[in-house]
Amino acid sequence: MARAGTSRTVFPVIRFEKVTKRYPGPGTPALDQVTLDIDKGEFVYLVGTSGSGKSTALRLVLRELRPTTGRVYVAGKEINRMAGWKVPRLRRQIGTVFQDFRLLPNKSVAENVAFALQVIGRSRRDINKVVPDTLELVGLKDKGDRMPDELSGGEQQRVAIARAFVNRPMILIADEPTGNLDPSTSVGIMNLLGDINQTGTTVVMATHDHGIVDQFRKRVIELEHGKVIRDEAAGSYGFRH
Amino acid sequence: MQLRYVFSELRTGLRRNLSMHLSVILTLFVSLTLAGCGALVQREANLTAEYLGTQLQIRVNLCTDNDPSNSPNCAGGEVTEEQRARIEQEIAGNDEVRSFDYQTKEEGFEKAKKTLPDVVFEGENPVVTVENWPGAYWVTLKDPNRADGIISAVQGLDGVSGIIDERAALSQIFGIMKVLKFGSWIASGALLLAALLQVANTIRLAALARRREIGIMRLVGASTLYISVPFLLEAIVTAVVGVALAAGALAAFQFWGVQRGLAENVSFLPWIEWTDYQHAIVGLQPPGIAYVGLALTLVPTLLLTRKYIKV
Ligand SMILES: Nc1ncnc2c1ncn2[C@@H]1O[C@H](COP(=O)(O)OP(=O)(O)OP(=O)(O)O)[C@@H](O)[C@H]1O
Ligand SMILES: [Mg+2]
Repeated sequence: MARAGTSRTVFPVIRFEKVTKRYPGPGTPALDQVTLDIDKGEFVYLVGTSGSGKSTALRLVLRELRPTTGRVYVAGKEINRMAGWKVPRLRRQIGTVFQDFRLLPNKSVAENVAFALQVIGRSRRDINKVVPDTLELVGLKDKGDRMPDELSGGEQQRVAIARAFVNRPMILIADEPTGNLDPSTSVGIMNLLGDINQTGTTVVMATHDHGIVDQFRKRVIELEHGKVIRDEAAGSYGFRH
Repeated sequence: MQLRYVFSELRTGLRRNLSMHLSVILTLFVSLTLAGCGALVQREANLTAEYLGTQLQIRVNLCTDNDPSNSPNCAGGEVTEEQRARIEQEIAGNDEVRSFDYQTKEEGFEKAKKTLPDVVFEGENPVVTVENWPGAYWVTLKDPNRADGIISAVQGLDGVSGIIDERAALSQIFGIMKVLKFGSWIASGALLLAALLQVANTIRLAALARRREIGIMRLVGASTLYISVPFLLEAIVTAVVGVALAAGALAAFQFWGVQRGLAENVSFLPWIEWTDYQHAIVGLQPPGIAYVGLALTLVPTLLLTRKYIKV
């Protein structure tokens, strides 16, 4: 464990080095020379107007996209140089949550969460042990047998978070997780993400939600036209919005 | 990887795309049956050619008095000993000839008496007599396909009334086999292409139907292999069913059509056997329909799953 302590100080969990991402076609790049470090256990908001490059940055971390120039490191490894067959292993260390939940409608809550473990080859015994614990953590202990369409939006997002967290990832990425939820439900989700962050999981959350950012003060990285224009610890959403 | 997961995926996958899978199976069935037929006909043609090649002979008829051929070679009437020696020398020296036999008028006439109807030998003026029956050389060739040299060498010699080439009668049989063979190959080629396109379409639809699931699998770090296994299994199942149906149809053809049909009725020719059937199914050269069927479904599946579920 001392080793883990050392590595924390040696390299950040996520590092962008002069990352530029240009999508095919004309126009300005979606990300422009972005350099940033995110350390283990941090909670980071990624804010900025629509089209400023938040989702692009998150997808680069998952290696769903590759940078046009520059380097993206996850846990000290430059993921752009990673062999294709290692990418699944990278993604097992990253949980992902979206605005639209992305649950499988024909599977129950527990099956949706178990699915994430099944498809990476975990044994049934493991799964039967871990899934109920995770459902309890997200506050859905008694709803494992429900189908997704029998849940509220907030509850569905909790299922999605359970699925993202069930494998105890190093990083949790959330792209506008409260985008479809009303303010009070959002607070519940933020508390849950805060709990997960408390376990040592690094959380990176892209959001438009002023109220949330101002209420739950964390590090804020603001993007504009693909450039980092602000990076402050315990920041607010920003005055200009 | 849990087998239970794999099989439940396979079951739902097959059920979800049942009509597409059935159409792939039927197309595979028909096209592989035709391809197998082509291979069997090809084999039969080779057998026939091999067998007849050893039997095929050219007959050089010698002149008689009042030879019916009216050939200028026969201007001198009945062939003379000198002419015959010259002809024999020419035949013996030709390198297309494996062996030859001289059959005298008398021997030929005795043979003819056994095969021709009695009326031609009866009456005041019988149609066939020893005098007008030609003496002949029976020439066996080294290669039944090469006879031009010996024919042109002997044709113009004095004392040669004509040459009867028995291969001509058989070229008709070979012609029919060629048509059958190429016909079934062209038809099966077109259908195999159709099967290929249908497989591609099936995969596209299956990937579309499962895109949400596949998206999640990629996101949580399932390997490409794991994601493609259901597709590969579906492909293998359709291939196996298609091949099995085609193999059954060909076996029925072999049993009822060849063994119980042609072989019993046309017994003077050699007929394809079960080893030839086996060769058409799992032979290596040309590839048997089992391999063709598997390749036809697996190759596009491997290529397209890479495309649609790229991690
Ligand atoms: N697949 C794509 N192909 C081409 N351009 C894209 C693609 N995805 C995003 N872009 C462009 O890149 C820029 C940044 O997009 P991105 O999705 O990262 O923004 P965002 O900050 O997440 O916006 P939002 O808040 O609306 O989600 C935008 O100008 C967008 O049009
Ligand atoms: Mg976005």
